[in-house]
Amino acid sequence: MKFFRYILLLIVLLLAACSGGNDEEGAEEGTSNDSSDGASDEVLTIGNSNDIVSFDIHDHNNTSTEAVHVNMFNYLVKNDPDEGFIPDLAESWENVDETKWEFKLKEGVKFHNGDELTAEDVKFTLERVANDSALLEYGAYRQIEEVEVVSDYEFVIHTYEPEPALLNRVSRIGSGILPKNYIETEGWDVFLENPVGTGPYQFEEWQKDSQLTLTRFDDYFGDEPKWSQVEFRAIPENSTRVSELLTGGIDLAVNIPPDDIERIESSEDTTVMSAPSQRVMLFVLRTQGDYPTADPKVREAIELAIDKEAIIESVLEGHAVPTRTRVTPGNFGANEELYDTQLYDPERARELLEEAGYADGVNIKLSSPSGRYLKDRESVELMVAMLQEVGINADVEFLEWSAFSTPYSNKEFEDVFFIAYGNSMFDGSQALQRLELEMAAGETDYDNPEVEELLSEAMNNMDEDSRLEQYQKAQEIISEDRPIIPLFQVESIYGVNDRINFEPELSEMLYVDDITIK
Amino acid sequence: MKYFFLNVIKTVPVLILITLIVFILVRVTGDPVALMISENATEQEKAELREALGLNDNLIVQYINYMGSIIQGDFGESFRYNTDALTLVLDRLPASIELAIVSMILATIVSVPLGILSAIKRNSLLDLFITGISVVGKAMPNFWLGIMLILVFSVMLSLLPVSGSGTLAHTILPAVALGTGIAAEMTRLIRSSMLEILGQDFIRTARSKGLFEAVVVNVHAFRNALIPVVTIMALQTSTLIGGTLITETVFAWPGVGQLLIQAVNLRDMAVVQAAVFIIAIAVIVSNLLADLIYRLLDPRIKYD
Repeated sequence: MKFFRYILLLIVLLLAACSGGNDEEGAEEGTSNDSSDGASDEVLTIGNSNDIVSFDIHDHNNTSTEAVHVNMFNYLVKNDPDEGFIPDLAESWENVDETKWEFKLKEGVKFHNGDELTAEDVKFTLERVANDSALLEYGAYRQIEEVEVVSDYEFVIHTYEPEPALLNRVSRIGSGILPKNYIETEGWDVFLENPVGTGPYQFEEWQKDSQLTLTRFDDYFGDEPKWSQVEFRAIPENSTRVSELLTGGIDLAVNIPPDDIERIESSEDTTVMSAPSQRVMLFVLRTQGDYPTADPKVREAIELAIDKEAIIESVLEGHAVPTRTRVTPGNFGANEELYDTQLYDPERARELLEEAGYADGVNIKLSSPSGRYLKDRESVELMVAMLQEVGINADVEFLEWSAFSTPYSNKEFEDVFFIAYGNSMFDGSQALQRLELEMAAGETDYDNPEVEELLSEAMNNMDEDSRLEQYQKAQEIISEDRPIIPLFQVESIYGVNDRINFEPELSEMLYVDDITIK
Repeated sequence: MKYFFLNVIKTVPVLILITLIVFILVRVTGDPVALMISENATEQEKAELREALGLNDNLIVQYINYMGSIIQGDFGESFRYNTDALTLVLDRLPASIELAIVSMILATIVSVPLGILSAIKRNSLLDLFITGISVVGKAMPNFWLGIMLILVFSVMLSLLPVSGSGTLAHTILPAVALGTGIAAEMTRLIRSSMLEILGQDFIRTARSKGLFEAVVVNVHAFRNALIPVVTIMALQTSTLIGGTLITETVFAWPGVGQLLIQAVNLRDMAVVQAAVFIIAIAVIVSNLLADLIYRLLDPRIKYD
């Protein structure tokens, strides 16, 4: 052991000698947060697992990018988990008739370049994404027909159809209001290099795949921004991100794998925070054709064979909640009776297989991405073993995400595939749309006229109460028909330096001003 | 001069072949639209996006258009960043070159003395120790070594920054992680090359003239032993680039390697193509440089 220490010391000395004077200087910089905590407490450093994708708020569908954007841009309204829709850029709004929404903007809101926000900016922003089909967020905004400017601070959003989820649409990815004059005068290229919004933090510098720096915007219309500077670092390797947290290089580490929780908890200065996320892991099953899963009994047996709680405990270290629905609490339409529950009953699963004529077992093909989601491969492997216990022999195929996405998009998977879905709209419509006849065709081929009627009526139903009932009823029927078998809602896990207060959001957004120094 | 001119011309078909292979590979292994578009997109929305990205054309038409653009220096636009792919790659290139050069320097500083020592103290305990370390150095996977270096030097000893770039201190750990395998390979090669040279007649002559052993080893033997070493250094360029792909990700080093890995994951075709093209050029240039250095080391080598 002593010998090892000497060797280690020798290597350290060698390294120090190689790097000369710069080494010391650099080492100090590298651990700057340790030494400068007192002096520069106003700099917040966040370690993400990915860099942001772009500053084109309409041309990405990436939650971690949006988590950064929310500090630079503002939506018209904010979807608060406790209070519902609250004013952000819009001071008030009213749904005047089924396809018409009147909004009034706050006055005196400034963009980072000094321009004042007007209704023209809103028209420019929303009509761009509602009309350009090449933009990735087009699908969530094409329901908007026109934004009619009434005055500098008043405008009306017209939709083609009655649009009960309009407020959900304008409080998510793609709804940050952009500066019309700046973009029209300078062009998109300049905007993408030097983005301008109305948020509490303004753009300072972006070193792609390395670091994005934002600074406090002194003319922000809301409460004074708390931090003088915020740095979002892109650190893709999990163990490196955790090491940065442990050495004080970052204050907050996003996306912590369960294996590293103990490492963080055992350090004096760091702790782990977690909260439910919008991501639900589920099986998607063929309900028609020559597939064994076309038999409802086989689908039911699959659900009954899986002990979701065991997977959560053993693989996910308790950081997930079993669910039988994709519309989890916090989303409009959630059916809470189907949440935090499971139907594990292997005996009954065996009986069901016998009733379905598979007394000697049944073979199914199961496809799953590997390395895409938190412990995806391990979870699926455990489920395959559970299925085997009741007589379902799953031939499992693990695919790297880019290889998985093509057959997924082309709807080419056989009996069952495993996937996780999010819900950035916080509305039942987004979660259940894929089960409507048109979207389900070729994938689950799910066809239940009652569900179809409930979903299509709810899509344009402006009465909140009956819309809620429609979604809840639809989920109940879906949970019995099982075109999908929701498994569990995963939590987002963060590593936090003890010098800050941080509460994770269901939306996974990182509102910097909600993070405070202790 | 003529030799180098001819060699440069010979690289053109190689580059064309590389563009063709990469072009086909990125297209047959995944659909970028499937990776980009949201879960609830309709078939029509997918088709419109595919059209907007120019993916609906026949593959041959796409390739001809692509080659036409390359000749004008246009590698297309990145789907992910909406900017010129070549600029993206060239922006990252200095970081990767910096890492590669520092790794190479570290590998040389370590391997030359160890290789020579090992050869002149052949079969001694020291030789055994050095050879043993080389085997271990070669066998350690890059990413594992990187993570271990972070744990020891950053987390336990707080000597060096964990990740990122900007100062020499940030360069040390990734350069060591990347350079260790190369140093191990070079040590073994210098050792065997020196052993071969030390047994030759001209060394015996030098010794019989009464020259100091240091002069015999360092001037007469080492210079001759360098030729195969230069070859291996040139060949290591591709190993080095392969290593940067992983090392850059482990250390969040913003170079071409990290860019390429993300581009492959997202099927960002233009970036993959531009990055592979630039890497191919880097490998070709390093091989040409090796040819040049042979001449400096051994004036008898002539290229006709």
